Order: sequence, then C-alpha cells, then structure tokens
Amino acid sequence: MGVQPLMRIENLVKHFHVRLGAFGERAATVHALDNITFDILEGETLSLVGESGCGKSTTGFTLLNLHRATEGKVIYQGKNIVELDEKAMRPYRRQLQIVFQDPYSTLNPRMTIGEAVGEPILFHKLATKAELKDRIATLLADVGLPPRFASRYPHELSGGQRQRVAIARALACQPKFIVCDEAISALDVSVQAQIINLLLDLQQKYGLTYLFIAHDLAVVRHISDRVGVMYLGRLAELATREELFEHPLHPYTKALLSAVPEADPAHERSRQRQILQGDVPSPLSPPSGCRFHTRCPIAMDVCSKAVPEWREARPGHMVACHAVTEGLSG
Amino acid sequence: MSVVPMTTTPIEIEPPVSLWRDAWHRLRRNKLAVFGLAVVVILAFTALLGPYLTPYDFLSQDLNSRNLGPSLSHLFGTDDLGRDVFSRVVYGTRTAFLVAIVVTFIAVVIGVTLGALAGFFGGWLDRIVMWLTDMTMSIPNLLLVVVINASLKTPIASWMESRYLATLNPFYRETIWVDFLLVFGSMALISWPPYARLVRAQVLSIRSRPYITAAQALGLTNRIILMRYVVPNALGPLIVAVSAGLGTAMVLESAFSFLGVGVNPPTPSWGNMISDGLRVWQHYPHLLAAPAAVLGLASVAFSFLGDGLNDALNPRGAK
Repeated sequence: MGVQPLMRIENLVKHFHVRLGAFGERAATVHALDNITFDILEGETLSLVGESGCGKSTTGFTLLNLHRATEGKVIYQGKNIVELDEKAMRPYRRQLQIVFQDPYSTLNPRMTIGEAVGEPILFHKLATKAELKDRIATLLADVGLPPRFASRYPHELSGGQRQRVAIARALACQPKFIVCDEAISALDVSVQAQIINLLLDLQQKYGLTYLFIAHDLAVVRHISDRVGVMYLGRLAELATREELFEHPLHPYTKALLSAVPEADPAHERSRQRQILQGDVPSPLSPPSGCRFHTRCPIAMDVCSKAVPEWREARPGHMVACHAVTEGLSG
Repeated sequence: MSVVPMTTTPIEIEPPVSLWRDAWHRLRRNKLAVFGLAVVVILAFTALLGPYLTPYDFLSQDLNSRNLGPSLSHLFGTDDLGRDVFSRVVYGTRTAFLVAIVVTFIAVVIGVTLGALAGFFGGWLDRIVMWLTDMTMSIPNLLLVVVINASLKTPIASWMESRYLATLNPFYRETIWVDFLLVFGSMALISWPPYARLVRAQVLSIRSRPYITAAQALGLTNRIILMRYVVPNALGPLIVAVSAGLGTAMVLESAFSFLGVGVNPPTPSWGNMISDGLRVWQHYPHLLAAPAAVLGLASVAFSFLGDGLNDALNPRGAK
C-alpha cells in the first residue's frame, strides 16, 4: 500500500431536489451526502459499507462527477474535478473508471463485446485501429475470457461473464482508479468469489486503486485495506480493516458487525447480537445532531443537538461520535 | 478420450449471432408471424405487379357481362358496370399500400423527430410536444378527416377546374391527386401522435438505463451516446409499431373510403368497393366478399406480423 493520497475528498455534499405529492406540489431535498471527508490512498482498496440508501453509491457517483456535487471538493492530481464541465473532465474520465452493480444492464445490448471493449480504446486514442484487435484480445485475456467472445453479444453471456466484460471495458481506459459500485452484489456467490479474485489480481498487475462499495461485510473484510462505514449520508467511522473489525468505536459499526453471521454454529448461538430498533430515518428530513441518535443505544442529550466532529480517535482511525469523544465508548 | 491429442483441436470460431439475426430466427419459429409475413409479401408483390397480374383494366366496363359470379375468366366475378372485380381488388391493393406506406412514412418522420427531441431534451420542448400530441389525439379521427374533406375538397377541385380551363393542361383534370393529397394529409395528421409518444417513452427509458451512465463514465460525447446507444435501442419497438401501423393505416383508409371521405370512385379502394358491394350483397355477395376478405386478410396479416416482431425483438417479454 502506498501512502500518497490518490484522491482527497473534502466536505463533499450532494443534495437531490425532488418534488413530492400527487402533483409535485411540495419541493423537498434528499440529503444523500453530507460533509464527507476522506482520502483515498494510492494502490489501496477502500471499502464503503452501510445499509441501502446510506449514500455509498452516491459517493462513488459524485466523486466521479457523474452526479454534480452540491458542495465540497474532490482533489485529484491537484485539481478539483467536481467543478469541471464534461469537456474538461474527459481526460480524467479515462483515469477514473467505474464498474456497476448490474452487469445485465450496463452493457449496450446492440454492441458486441469487442465493440464495447474497443470503443473506449479508440475514443481515448489509446491504440491505433491496427492494434485494436490485439488490444481487445489482451484485455479479454486479462479478465479471463477467450478472444472469440469479442464477436458475441451481451445477451449470449452469463452474469459473471458480463461483469468480466464490464471490468475489461473499464481496464481498456488504462485507469488508475476504479469505483466498484456493488460490483459483485448481483452475482451468484460462487461467481462473486471469482470476480473478487479477478479484481485483486488486476489490482496487483496494474497497480489499481479501488473504491469498493458493498454491503457484504465478509467480502469487505476479505479484500479491503481500509473500511469506511456510512450512515444516512455521513461517514460514521473509517479505519484500517483490522482496526475497524477488531476495535470498532462507533455504536453503529458495532451493531453492523454484530449482524455478521458466524460459520461456526456453536459460536453463532453464543454470540451477542445487537439489534437496532426502528428504521433508518428518511434522508428527506434527517435527524438533527448525530444522525444515528434516534437508534443509538448509548445516545446522550448532546447527540440530538450537535453534529459530532469527524476526528481521529486513534492513529488512522476516524470516527464521528460524541460518546467516543467523551471517552464513554471504545 | 484420453488418447485424443488436444493440441490438434482447431480454434473454435463461432459466427456472431447478432440481435437482428437472433430476432429473425425467433420470428421464423412463430407460425402466425410467418403467415403474416407471407401474406404481406404476396400483397406487396400484388400491389407492385398489379397491371401484369390481370388481363382486364380496372376501369374498362363491359355492360354485356354485368354482375357475373366468380368464374375462370373473372376470378372474383364482375360488378354492376361489368368491371372485373379481381382487377379492381388488385388495384385496391395498390391504393391501400400506397396510402399506408406514404401515411406511415410521414407519420413516423413527424412522430420520431418530435418524440426523440421531447424525450432527449425534456423541459419546455417536451411539454409543448406532449401538449400537441394530446391535443391531436383528442380530436376524433373521422370528424377531422370529414372536416378537412368537406372544407378543402371543393375549393381545391374548383381551383383545379379553373386552372384546366385556363391552361388546358391535362394534369389539372387528375382529381385523383386531390383525393390522395387529402387522404394522405389528413391521415398523417392524425397518425403521428402514437409514434411520438412511443419514441419519447423509449428515449426517456433508455436515457436512464445504466449503460448510458456507463457510457458517460467512459467520457463519451452526447452525440456518440445518442447515435450508438439511444437510437439503436429505440429501433425495435418502432419497427413493431410501424408494422402494426401499416395495417391500421390500410383499415383506416378503407374506413374513410367506405364512408366516402377517402379515395373516391372510380379509383378502386377496398373501402369504396365494400361500400358499393354492401348495397347489393343479397343478390351479388361476391361484390362484398372479395374486397372485404382481402381487407380482413391484410389487417390480420399485419397484426400477426407486428405481434411476431414484438415477440422476436423483445424476447424477454415473450417468455
């Protein structure tokens, strides 16, 4: 793992303006992301976990400028890329790639695999027309597909094969950084393992940096260097994998980790589970102060009043919790 | 098994199965669709080769052989003026195809342009187009055609008559063009909204597909995304709609001609032949049966073909 930050995300905010009611008469704001700050280090795999709708995917989309950030900065190579327009963004698009969740809908059904993989190569002028065929074959080999797949259409492929194509397409750009947005969630468990191993192999081979967005904690534990936990549009905690899984500080992280099933039945039966009460509040009107205070088992008065500070509780271990700050948890 | 040397196995080369070829395979397995396609092809050839298929002119009258029943010399018999009904049905096929193709073409051009612009750009353009569509659809078809015919036919005809008297140019005697102009014009005017809605809905739904976001993430330009991603994917449902629309246009033309607001006699159209036959069907049923059967056949054939295309191009919906 390198120590250089590849990308620095500073106070990133993303609000979606929506209209509610039968006639769209009420304007409302979805607080999808609020003040997210973290670094992505070169060559690492940083995972973001959290429940559905907590802003994991929005983070990925916003820092690639696929959603316009409402506020904040994403510094990449000294430039705040979220303020660039589409044209100025283009050279960065090549370096910053994304692999999506559903491989069935992320490939154009009217394009062969070869066309799909070759398109970014020609578009970004990464090879001449003469070299294109070899380049496509190399990329397909990289993701474990035979070259004859180049003439096939997406509908002839299985989910796992399609996800390999999606990865080959991202690789075709020769990127530095890939957001894997739930890239394995839609696949069968046996295929998930293959794709994970493929992603890890490619990371080694090409020195890639991953932002891995997932909700499967077992997978996250297997592949991550660092893990960030999100709750309702805010980062709750971020630390190295060992630190986070062994010494979680935030009560939400603890609850989340206690929900991971154990393979050993004896262990599983004796295990202390911490069940959170209630549902995730609506991001349309998030709770005041700490957004977790409505469900937090150790909530205090201050939690509903002040937003907890995003601070380093232990070396390299960031957390936003009043209880941790006051030394009551940890 | 164990002694087969693996190294001599030639590299397996598989022909690409394109979506279109795949669709064609599926279409071929669908009996009703194949029947529809066959009938449509036969009718199309009939329309194209009309004059070569029949020994009689559709206009020539033979008052000695009026109202004859079907026979070898007159396959569908003759009508009250001794005209060969088979020839008239064949020429009616020409009329039907001409009207259907031209009307559908105009309607598709208007509909696709407006629908694609509305879907892609949205906003006020979308609102205007949708308002125009709703307004057009709210007007009863027949009423509009009758009004257009009633208000424009006589003025145009009398203007042409005066031009003929002034110039003696025989072109101005050809009132058939007025008929066609009014029929094409009014039918196209009422036929485009479904295409506009379809294309708009297609573009809207395709725009939000993940593969569009994936294309944007690659940095591709809007023009490339529109041409390589949006248009090819919107084409399937449009083809289905056009196939069904051709049949609808034929029925519509017949309906208008039946009511006397479409193609006027003596130009044969299935509609005005049915209208004529209806008056005497108790005595000469073949005068009604022949054009009605062909119209029915054409309508059913186009709808089978449309259904078959729908299943072939959207295999997920079929299963």
